[in-house]
Amino acid sequence: MSAILAGKTAFVTGGSGGIGSAICSRFAREGAEVLAADLAPSATANEAVEFVEYDVTDVALCRQTFDRLAARWERLDILVNAAGIEIEKTIEHTTLEEWNRIFAVNVTGMFLTSKYALPLLRKANAASVINFGSYDGYIADPGLAAYCATKGAVHALTRAMACDHGPEGIRVNAICPGYVDTPMLQSFFGDSGDIESLKQAVRDVHPVRSYGTPEDIANLVNWLASDEARYASGQLWVIDGGLSAQVQQMRL
Amino acid sequence: MTRLADKTALVTGGRQGIGRAIIERFEAEGARVMTCGRGARPAELPAEILWETCDVSERSDVDALTDRVVETFGELDILVNNAGLQIEKTVVDTTDADWDALMGVNAKGVFLLCRDCIPIMSAGGSIINIGSISASTADPGLALYNASKAFVQGLTRSIAVDHGPAIRCNAISPGWIMTDMAAAAFAVADNPAAAERDALARHPAGRFGTPADVAAMAVWLASDEAEFATGQCYTLDGGLTATSPLNPGLF
Repeated sequence: MSAILAGKTAFVTGGSGGIGSAICSRFAREGAEVLAADLAPSATANEAVEFVEYDVTDVALCRQTFDRLAARWERLDILVNAAGIEIEKTIEHTTLEEWNRIFAVNVTGMFLTSKYALPLLRKANAASVINFGSYDGYIADPGLAAYCATKGAVHALTRAMACDHGPEGIRVNAICPGYVDTPMLQSFFGDSGDIESLKQAVRDVHPVRSYGTPEDIANLVNWLASDEARYASGQLWVIDGGLSAQVQQMRL
Repeated sequence: MTRLADKTALVTGGRQGIGRAIIERFEAEGARVMTCGRGARPAELPAEILWETCDVSERSDVDALTDRVVETFGELDILVNNAGLQIEKTVVDTTDADWDALMGVNAKGVFLLCRDCIPIMSAGGSIINIGSISASTADPGLALYNASKAFVQGLTRSIAVDHGPAIRCNAISPGWIMTDMAAAAFAVADNPAAAERDALARHPAGRFGTPADVAAMAVWLASDEAEFATGQCYTLDGGLTATSPLNPGLF
């Protein structure tokens, strides 16, 4: 295996989550020095990945973390904003507190982390920021109103950051996963009856006949983080097994 | 690096520009590569890259090319539809002959190659079509070119939907990649040098693209790393289309 990220430094928020931990493991395998930033360490700890306690909604902690990091690292090459939560409700049943909470994590958290990471990213000269948008930023899944809205905001923020900080040598892209086998997806399936038949129906509607794995997503994150993607910026990279390429209709 | 080790690849339009960068990169990544073009084999083409003379808009040429692929490789793992023409005209100035030439290569050629090659592709095969940002936002004075690239996007999605899970199909939509084709597009402007300076200032990346940039994306899409990527048109434009065309800094 070639070490495509050799010598690079990476900071991954949501680094203990389903997709986040797959990204951290991949980055480490590719030779990067990786900090997995999250509320708690991953259940499947990888000794090549260092955990740092981090909360994207805590502005003081965000500032302090990057102040400390500046004393340790000369530059930050890769920032992945993967921290995110989902609320499975329509707007009718979403409380203002829930609405504010999901925006605080999915959007404001991305803003704060990126804001305080900027000085170190600038020093890289060729940094890559990868935000987590979603297929849901384009097409709504039922009962995920606030989540869909946060991902639309992430998409717009991604373009804005690419526009503003491209001239400083910072590329900014968003990954927009479709259905990926994570605890979040299991939760989304949660109350919808027979989970096995539901999983099969979801597989069958994908042109590739499966939903994705965290590793599938990490493959694209890894590419965008690498110098191979040096001309890629300001884009929303949908990776969904072909789901959104087809008009949605049940096969009856 | 050998991310495409033991894979077989057919890349149309490998004489120059983006196609040339893709074949050289595929070869460096361990693939066995065949390319084609309308004329004779380019003298300086690396010896290990196979060349066939082929006009992708001619069915008999494409059939013969496909036969050569089967004879040489057996199965095909990667098809890159890169061959493309650009005609710098509005609709009103475009002749029937222009239509036949441009749509013949950019639209019919992609269709012919896909129709012939899908049946000879291995399970897990990857088709990569070279589209353009012009498919979504029009470049002035390039009417048929823009429309032909929209065709490429539509066909890309159809192939992904109809021929998955065996075959993945994606498009790369490059922005301004510095090739002879880009130079010809700038030449349409009243002041080409000023147009080029203006275009450059609109790129967050601070530069135009290179054929190698596109080749790097093609390697990823062709590799097994991209197993979950299909039906997409991935834009690679240095941020150009992420920014508004109305830029007060340029007034």
